[in-house]
Amino acid sequence: MWPTGMSPDGREWHFVVCMKVVPKPEEVRVDPETRRLDRAGARSEINPPDMNALEMALQLKDRFGGRVSILSMGPPFFEPYLRVGLAMGADHIYLLSDRKFGGADTLATTYTLARGIQKLGPVDLVFCGEESSDGATGQVPPGLAEWLDFSQITLVTRVELDPMRRVVRGRRERPGGYEILEVPLPAVISVKTGCNEPRFMDYRLKPWAFAPERVTVWSASDLEVDETFVGTAGSPTQVSGLAQAPSRERKRIRLEGTPEEIARVLAERLRELLR
Amino acid sequence: MAASLYGPEEAQSAFWIYLEHEQRALERVSLELLSKARALADAAGWRVAGLLLGHRVEPMVEDAFAWGADEVWVADHPLLEPFTVEAHTAIAFQAILRGRPSVFLCGATPNGRDLAGRLAVRLRTGLTADCTDLRLDLEKGGVLIGEVTGFGGGIVALITMPNHRPQMATVRPGVFPLATPQRGRTGVVIPLEVDLHPEALRTRVVERVVGRGVDLTQAPVLVVGGRGIHGRFDLLQELASLLGGEVGATRPPVDEGWIDRERQVGQTGVVCRPKVALVCGASGAFQFVVGIQNAGTVIAINTDPEAPIFEFADYGVVGDALQVIPALIEALRAERVMA
Amino acid sequence: MQEPMVLTPDEALWERLFQETRGAMALCYQCGVCTAACPWGLVRREPFSVRTMMRRAQVGLLDGDESLWLCAACGQCEALCPRGVPVSEVFQSLRERAWEQRTVPRGLSSVLWSVYWNNNPWFQPPSYRSRWARDLEVPRFDPEQHEILYYVGCTSVYDRRAQKVARALVQLLRAAGVRFGTLGNDEPCCGEAVKSLGHRPYFYEIAQNNAKLFADAGVQELITTSPHCYEAFQNHYPRFQAGFRPYHYTQYLARLLEEGRLRFSREVRLRVTYHDPCYLGRRGGEYEAPRRVLDAIPGLERVEMAHFGPDALCCGGGGGRMWLETRVGERFADLRIQEALETGAQVLVTACPFCMACLEDSLRGMGVAGLRVLDVAEIAAMAV
Repeated sequence: MWPTGMSPDGREWHFVVCMKVVPKPEEVRVDPETRRLDRAGARSEINPPDMNALEMALQLKDRFGGRVSILSMGPPFFEPYLRVGLAMGADHIYLLSDRKFGGADTLATTYTLARGIQKLGPVDLVFCGEESSDGATGQVPPGLAEWLDFSQITLVTRVELDPMRRVVRGRRERPGGYEILEVPLPAVISVKTGCNEPRFMDYRLKPWAFAPERVTVWSASDLEVDETFVGTAGSPTQVSGLAQAPSRERKRIRLEGTPEEIARVLAERLRELLR
Repeated sequence: MAASLYGPEEAQSAFWIYLEHEQRALERVSLELLSKARALADAAGWRVAGLLLGHRVEPMVEDAFAWGADEVWVADHPLLEPFTVEAHTAIAFQAILRGRPSVFLCGATPNGRDLAGRLAVRLRTGLTADCTDLRLDLEKGGVLIGEVTGFGGGIVALITMPNHRPQMATVRPGVFPLATPQRGRTGVVIPLEVDLHPEALRTRVVERVVGRGVDLTQAPVLVVGGRGIHGRFDLLQELASLLGGEVGATRPPVDEGWIDRERQVGQTGVVCRPKVALVCGASGAFQFVVGIQNAGTVIAINTDPEAPIFEFADYGVVGDALQVIPALIEALRAERVMA
Repeated sequence: MQEPMVLTPDEALWERLFQETRGAMALCYQCGVCTAACPWGLVRREPFSVRTMMRRAQVGLLDGDESLWLCAACGQCEALCPRGVPVSEVFQSLRERAWEQRTVPRGLSSVLWSVYWNNNPWFQPPSYRSRWARDLEVPRFDPEQHEILYYVGCTSVYDRRAQKVARALVQLLRAAGVRFGTLGNDEPCCGEAVKSLGHRPYFYEIAQNNAKLFADAGVQELITTSPHCYEAFQNHYPRFQAGFRPYHYTQYLARLLEEGRLRFSREVRLRVTYHDPCYLGRRGGEYEAPRRVLDAIPGLERVEMAHFGPDALCCGGGGGRMWLETRVGERFADLRIQEALETGAQVLVTACPFCMACLEDSLRGMGVAGLRVLDVAEIAAMAV
């Protein structure tokens, strides 16, 4: 049995969880005049899939010891939201915050997060939610793994760590099935939304979690980034138009006819929906 | 601004499609992408190429041609099967640098997303993820416009990358219709050299399971039975199997012992997020509705026109589920025979 | 010889229980009246030994026991306890410890997160909170213009069934000419679910914030639809210097009748029986107001069930049990429906959205015809 809290090379396990703060999706509008996103007044929350990622990391910490760092790129207002993660059991927050990071797409985001992880020192596992509710791209985890030259397992519902062999096994969900993959550490793990139940905050930790020294803010110069790779400047993609999608409310369309007629319509709808 | 490994002036006027396959057949999303790329390419005078990586993949080349590829770049090697992100990224990267396509498309599937996410970084280019539509702006020299949704589908955005190549995008399965295949259509096969070593591949596939072990929280389709189906979960199971989904239940049938408690959906059961929830014979008690409110589409069948479930449904059928479901099974089977 | 079992009393737990109950915990002398009074004895062959739980708590011996989560906080045992032990408070303290030890049943963390991110325990978008009144043009509460704040509550704003009650109450207040407003989407969750599920520190945080929020909004008096919100405001907010006076809506309607502002002019020819919600009756001390409202309705005949008032049987939805599964055959509401049927009433009337959900559920499950469940507000609205 390996000593608790140590990885086989003799140092403490280090799990990193990438988290972000997003506006509640149903409260975001497109301003019909300016055609820009109107987030004003929208309530924020931690991106829900990131909570599943944090829970997975905390379960490993419960079992193997070590520490859990929360890494996030965003404006200073993220801070109080992220501290929720400390009250759940994470150890420290690293917030990558700089005006220069603004407007980042997947390439610039993954680059900046990767620089942050490199600055953190030795890391065993990096956890991400499977996607963010604002962008829903799901491309950050593999991009991050690429910048870091880490292995990856995406869309994972369960992980097992083998401390002796320094490998991680994950159950990766695929349409109509799953696969068990094994990769060496360090690795990036993207966690399936809803695969676990994030623990509620331990209020005994709250005063500790809200102490100023729990958060380290790193700017572009702290990270020594190549500035052509961050923010708007480092983002190949541009948003050339925005529109409000049709309402998210249920359609409430009544279908009528004989069972056979209804069945035909439903079969058609199902085919479209499940293509 | 950081540049991609090759720029617009060096790019070839071509659409490249990453061809995904399972059990020696091209995945439907790859055929959808070939169909769409063919149409865009015809209007623009561009070429369409398929990138086919795997082991013993030649039989699928014919299909790629039939659905519109002008050329298929083929890498055939035991280490390319099954998919691992390292092996496929390495070979795709080499092929792209050789062919320099203007556009590179993948299905927004688990493997397609993994590959695209890695490749885009290695190529230092942009990636438009999970597109719901694609257009090509020829006036700007062939700029791809990808339509994406964000914020739970509430916002639609158009994304472009004017200065980077290839223009990478993943496309949501099902958004493009299939073209009619032209059997006998041929093209050029371009073999790719594969220089892979087992030790360079970090991912080990320990186990691979198809068509089993899906839990309710991850099921793409959920067929839920309530009190009104009088225990006929055999019918629902049949329907769920046809749709590739799972069976769930509201509380009353679980109470009656008609179905396992693990399959109870709702506040005190499982909270699900399927693409489609088909709710049969359930009134729509609030504690149950919580369990399906994240479903993409809700279809409800209930005899009571006043049942609250209709408030939460996209499509509501006032009728007896025990009559509608058998008819639906029949219709889906007939369709399958036709296809 | 058998290995002796080593029991380690938890001094800290005992200390804490002692403080939380202001010493009342120590008064238990193990008479067992609580176990005998507990409605679990009516649905389980092996009664739920409340007395044992109290004893174990006294000596600080508790593990992650399933029975910790059975208590529906109905208050039956408390009403009969000769020493005045606040049994459900003890249970909540034990649950608090379960939160600390992370031995809470699956699903409960999610309920608390929902309160935290969505401001309701039902996983509903906070921006949809005022949708129940979309077409009613209920104004935003303004202390200059309004005499009372209508605090609707999470279940009544989101649950389609309970919304009907919330709307009936608007109709009644308008019929009586009451000047009222709501806090719309800014209405906070009262935190009763959090308290019942035993996360006391989070509940205190909620109550403290809300006490300030109501004070800043200029609230002097408010009415609730749910006895659960009412009980939280009435019994657990005062320690946070909450300066407002809460009413359950039945109390307020009774006052309006007394003042002659509300009059019932239409006959409602129904035979009804009233089910006392535990949080309004035993916990809130209010048995009369709902009955006075019903008795003021012309044509209405009211009968009592075998157990009523301080002896009323619990529906099973209190103490956070709305968020926990109760096995079939163990639902108190089934027994209550049976009692209602025995009266020959056409309508089982209650005044709580949780009772409504539990009773309707049992009614449907039992396949009973000829009886329906309505809220006092719905019946009263028929009479104006």
